[in-house]
Amino acid sequence: MKFDTPATTNPIDQLKVIGKPTDRIDGPLKTTGTAPYAYERHDVVANQAYGYVVGAAIAKGKVNAIHVLDAKAAPGVIAVITHENAGKITKGNFNTAKLLGGPEIQHYHQAIALVVADSFEQARAAAQLIRVDYERSDGKYDLAAAKDGAEKPKAGGFGGDPDTSVGDFATAFAAAPVQLDATYTTPDQTHAMMEPHATIAAWDGDKLTVWTSNQMIAWGKGDLARTLGIPKENVRLISPYIGGGFGGKLFLRADVLLAALGARVAKRPVKVALQRPLIINNTTHRPATIQRIRIGTDKDGKITAIGHESWSGDLPDGGPETAVNQTRLLYAGANRMTATRLAVLDLPEGNAMRAPGEAPGLMALEIAIDEAAEKAGIDPIEFRIRNDTQVDPEKPSRPFSQRQLNECLRLGAEKFGWSKRSATPGKVRDGDWLIGIGVAAGLRNNLVTKSAARVRLDQRGIVTVETDMTDIGTGTYTIIAQTAAEMMGVGLDKVVVTLGDSSFPVSAGSGGQWGANNSTAGVYAACVKLREAVAQKLGFNSADATFADGQVQAGNRSAALADAAREKELVGEDGIEYGDLDKKYQQSTFAGHFVEVGVDAATAEIRVRRMLAVCAAGRILNPKSARSQVIGAMTMGVGAALMEELAIDKRLGFFVNHDLAGYEVPVHADIPHQEVIFLDETDPVSSPMKAKGVGELGICGVGAAVANAIYNATGVRVRDYPITLDKLLAKMPV
Amino acid sequence: MPQASRQEIRFLLGGEVCIVRDATPTTTILSWLRDTARRTGTKEGCAEGDCGACTVLVGRIEDGNLVSEPVNACIRFLASIDGLQLETVEDLGGAHPVQRAMVEHHGSQCGFCTPGFVMSLAALKRTNPQPTEGEIDRALAGNLCRCTGYAPIVAAAMAAQPEPAHMRLDETIVAKLRALDDGTSLSFRRDGARWDSPRTTDELASLFLAFPDARLVAGATDVGLWATKLTRDLPHLIYVGAIDALRRVEQVDNTIEIGAAVTYADIEPIFDGLYPDFARLIRRIGGAQVRSVGTLAGNVANGSPIGDGSPALIALGAELVLRRGDERRALPIEEFFVAYGTQQRWPGEFIETIRVPLPAATTRYAAAKIGKRFDQDISSVCAALRFELVDGAILEPRLAFGGMDGVPRRAARAEAALQGRSFNEAAFEAAMLALDQDFSPIDDHRASASYRTRVARNLLLKFYRELAGETATRLEPDAYVHAIV
Repeated sequence: MKFDTPATTNPIDQLKVIGKPTDRIDGPLKTTGTAPYAYERHDVVANQAYGYVVGAAIAKGKVNAIHVLDAKAAPGVIAVITHENAGKITKGNFNTAKLLGGPEIQHYHQAIALVVADSFEQARAAAQLIRVDYERSDGKYDLAAAKDGAEKPKAGGFGGDPDTSVGDFATAFAAAPVQLDATYTTPDQTHAMMEPHATIAAWDGDKLTVWTSNQMIAWGKGDLARTLGIPKENVRLISPYIGGGFGGKLFLRADVLLAALGARVAKRPVKVALQRPLIINNTTHRPATIQRIRIGTDKDGKITAIGHESWSGDLPDGGPETAVNQTRLLYAGANRMTATRLAVLDLPEGNAMRAPGEAPGLMALEIAIDEAAEKAGIDPIEFRIRNDTQVDPEKPSRPFSQRQLNECLRLGAEKFGWSKRSATPGKVRDGDWLIGIGVAAGLRNNLVTKSAARVRLDQRGIVTVETDMTDIGTGTYTIIAQTAAEMMGVGLDKVVVTLGDSSFPVSAGSGGQWGANNSTAGVYAACVKLREAVAQKLGFNSADATFADGQVQAGNRSAALADAAREKELVGEDGIEYGDLDKKYQQSTFAGHFVEVGVDAATAEIRVRRMLAVCAAGRILNPKSARSQVIGAMTMGVGAALMEELAIDKRLGFFVNHDLAGYEVPVHADIPHQEVIFLDETDPVSSPMKAKGVGELGICGVGAAVANAIYNATGVRVRDYPITLDKLLAKMPV
Repeated sequence: MPQASRQEIRFLLGGEVCIVRDATPTTTILSWLRDTARRTGTKEGCAEGDCGACTVLVGRIEDGNLVSEPVNACIRFLASIDGLQLETVEDLGGAHPVQRAMVEHHGSQCGFCTPGFVMSLAALKRTNPQPTEGEIDRALAGNLCRCTGYAPIVAAAMAAQPEPAHMRLDETIVAKLRALDDGTSLSFRRDGARWDSPRTTDELASLFLAFPDARLVAGATDVGLWATKLTRDLPHLIYVGAIDALRRVEQVDNTIEIGAAVTYADIEPIFDGLYPDFARLIRRIGGAQVRSVGTLAGNVANGSPIGDGSPALIALGAELVLRRGDERRALPIEEFFVAYGTQQRWPGEFIETIRVPLPAATTRYAAAKIGKRFDQDISSVCAALRFELVDGAILEPRLAFGGMDGVPRRAARAEAALQGRSFNEAAFEAAMLALDQDFSPIDDHRASASYRTRVARNLLLKFYRELAGETATRLEPDAYVHAIV
């Protein structure tokens, strides 16, 4: 189905199932621990052996020799895989570094060996017996030091142009009566999803099946085939349940490749989970940034010049963190520029983590806006409203399809009690606590991409959806079931959803908050096909047929839906494909984030006391799962503001705190009362579903709202995340 | 007196007797559950006791009743539940009120952490059917979730109905546990390693004298990681948790004597009545899974410069009773810590009890830990202060810090500045200044040296204000229950 004109009224608008707060249909599987995650699939294939991964102990250099004889001779060991016996391995399209290193080592904990044994303990014990002779090379591990040598990255992909310019930024900024010029830093962060990357691999002749944990089935299948040099048709990738991803499982990772290689050498199925202490340096992470922001306004606080430059690092041939992108869209201003620069660093591979670009970009930009508003002497909410734009500020002929940022901010201010905030920082005290309130705007774009599905109707009237879409905790199973139920006029109890299998039609996958809108639109398209088949079978004119309560009706004729499949199952298969509506319109989602903090005057301990997000994100398909997505993202935003940071050993080139004890994410008591309000919105430009993504919007701006609240509480502006106690106390009055 | 010994591990799995003969001393509950018993409902998130995805309940008889405590299965050795009950998510069926509430309130997203949360909540609701939000936060401090942001889980915890009577088989379990206990000690060797679970302190003393290189283990909240993460050889483990005598807390004259196997969870309510700040400190150590097995004595014996128990005990003037064979000696606890990684302990010698003086009417005590996150955080600074307030004067001040040096220790100059002074802000300001001469802390990832120095000082002022009744704004989750919109 081609979607190239804005949606008109369609069956989804009935909102009998869509839009209702619906319990997740996979909930009981999860609360009982019976949802099958990759590593525990003892059932799928017999005789599984265990693999244990050995990571490189240097960050850059080469392996001169790898001594595996002792490990091979250890009890229970079946095989040891290294670059010497792995065969030819081609780097995947989505990988920057090779998933099996050696002799060249590109980053610390790059996998260099897999030990396969009868038991996990045997594999782990034997792995300790491997000795490696390394030749260490000098590497670059410090972004600040490498910044001056950073270069312009190539354009394309999701990144946008490395340089953008409208009007005359330099002149306008120089002439502005109010000027802000400040530099902010965000650290390297890790996804810290609860389920480690894990795979079981089994060969049947030259056909390979992997049960794994992956957000993007088609990307994974393609890259696995490419890496091994085998035809795509010979690879099947199955990933129905995923214990969190946040971008960490977008791509083929070492567990998949090593399990496949191990199974080939061991001649039996092999299971591999990346050990938790290996994950952080072995896999991808959100790269650190240095961001310089300049804002010039007139006396009334109208932005006349806005400039945002960002520096990040990655391995050779890697990509930048696109932290400037939201600045091209969020505020008006005739003169603007952005610049993105990329330094070569020999740290582990940088790549996408929840809201790549916008999450760190808004952490900086939305402090800068707070600072500019203060310099202009204007309330920060009023400042944002004055600088609102309903069109793409770089191309005024291109409107936003929907933009209710002002409404988000106004409603949030009212609900949160913004009027009680002291404009002068450091003035509100509750015992030893300094109290402050902060605000930030959030923006995350709605990306459209094609997505397909197959829908079957059987003689019992059961509707089964098949698509390679994934549910990484987002609630995909449920919203797809809601979509099919709405389209086919049946209850959720008549819908079965099967996901995450590469033998199903290719979907959008889960990433970039694009999964919900695109994958349900694909299911919509397949359901339209199935409705046509049903109508035809029943002898109805499909244009007139309505589907409700398990019945199909046209004119004065009516039949049970199941009757259409009485003789033979009916199948509808189609996908959504988009025209140029995303070129004609800017499609984005918006949020106003409000945060209250307390800061202990004596210790600078920070406690977030309450939070509110007001979101405008198109039609909310399931308010229950959408709310939970936003709350979870707000919590990750608190982590980003206050504690999450990969500490770098700049001498040896690795992330030091590579486990869940050292890399701190918020615990229960760190998270206060949170509330989410969704504005009533439908966006007919986005898809037939009129929905947009929401899972990444929730983190966009939160960190800055926390930072601004801390400033309001203490009068101390910390521009280097995370805002830890020592950075804050150092600047607080004794 | 050596007891009869037994080589196979016996415990109740759910309600049925389970006998395991092929586990090694370092086989964890989790690997046995998932790989051998094929109970895969319990998940492995980190294998080092940080995330709680592997939470199971371990049941034991206490005062004739069944007590079920949440435990991290990933770092607890299977042999240590010999004679106890193991309960996993499979044992709850699927219709447990907590499971239903978690679905209804959307407390599960990716679902990987969910079975761990379900088990922690089941344990909480058994002892506290209507918990406050603060109590829920505390009970779930050892369970990380990266998806939900916790609020839906808290809502589920509030809403969940009590466990129906027909799901509780406590009396049956107690009877079965009694039947399981034949008084024998577990002792076995496998794959070149040995495990002993003595049942009496005398048996422990003679074993450790005979095998002074063995590693004593109680909660294994640290030693468990030596096996799973550091892959260190642990050729001989002696488990102290099966000795009932070491689980006792007794009052003897003006001291309480805390056995070596007494856990944080055991001692927290006792301290809550004697030294409430110590109890508050304990509530911020690890999570419930760590506190239900981690012991105060183990924390001291481990000798970490950042263990939270030690400064709190040093300030109290606690004493260790060290035992070697049949010999015992008492040692002021601060003398136990010699240098980073070195303690005053002879081969074959172990901590038998910790003696803590009871507070007098004149006793004042304060303790606090500073970290980035509320729970499960290693302190950047931990501080504790005790003194006697006699006729308005500060006497016998004992001020101790963790995180300020290679060992937890007292601040002699600051104590001198307080001794004999009137209890007022000036005295504490003098001590704050003196403190700078007491310590030269280091910069590390957790905090800068200058922060440590300044916050140590400021904590003294905070202690003064609290003890003087001026402010009481300490961090407690319950303090942040604000209505929002």
